[in-house]
Amino acid sequence: MTKFILLVCVLVFSGCSDKLVRVMPYEKEYFAQDKMSYSPLADRSEQEGHVFLIREASAGGESAFQGGCGCR
Amino acid sequence: MKKILLLILITLTLSAEVKVGDTVNNFTLPYLYDTSKVVSLKTNAGKVTLVNLWASWCSGCKEEMPHFVSLQKKYKKSEFRIILSSVDKKKSKSIKFLNKVDKDKTLLALYDKEKILPKEYRAMGMPSSYLLDENLKIIKIFTGSLDDDAMGELESTINKLLGK
Repeated sequence: MTKFILLVCVLVFSGCSDKLVRVMPYEKEYFAQDKMSYSPLADRSEQEGHVFLIREASAGGESAFQGGCGCR
Repeated sequence: MKKILLLILITLTLSAEVKVGDTVNNFTLPYLYDTSKVVSLKTNAGKVTLVNLWASWCSGCKEEMPHFVSLQKKYKKSEFRIILSSVDKKKSKSIKFLNKVDKDKTLLALYDKEKILPKEYRAMGMPSSYLLDENLKIIKIFTGSLDDDAMGELESTINKLLGK
């Protein structure tokens, strides 16, 4: 019985060992790619916002400053 | 019972990472710029050697690289040597980056495509740097990018080991 418990413990702890299970830091090349980020087009958002403001003629309306009516 | 104890011992041994005081094995890896040439640690080590595991996709690795270039320039290569080991899948990416920050090829850049060193050292972060003495004994381990404080600590340790 003791042997069985010890064997189970060894298997469980080995399985839970982060060194054996997790992706090692030197294997994260694909995770480092831009397409793996939550917002892959983050660099473009500022430019898109600028285009949006021009198109909507609502410069300043995106913040609380200016009152938000969009007409200045 | 003996078998179980042996199994536990093997499991623990397999998951053990290198630590300060351990002596690392000599290794031979291809030179990054010309993989037909093979470079060994023993023949290229200085009195003090810093082995740096890095990759071009690792932003922290790229941040510390210019500091390594200027640090290497402060010492003779027989005294202190920085050995880079790239784990990039494509060596061209490493070369492209190093051509920007280390045009003179001050640092000895090796290519570890099979990730032999990080597997052997059980590197727990990227970048990882191992400061070795002339007997290849680990004096310090730096996990993660070296900031100004860590660079200062590294330099003072090097000077101490060189008796400066």
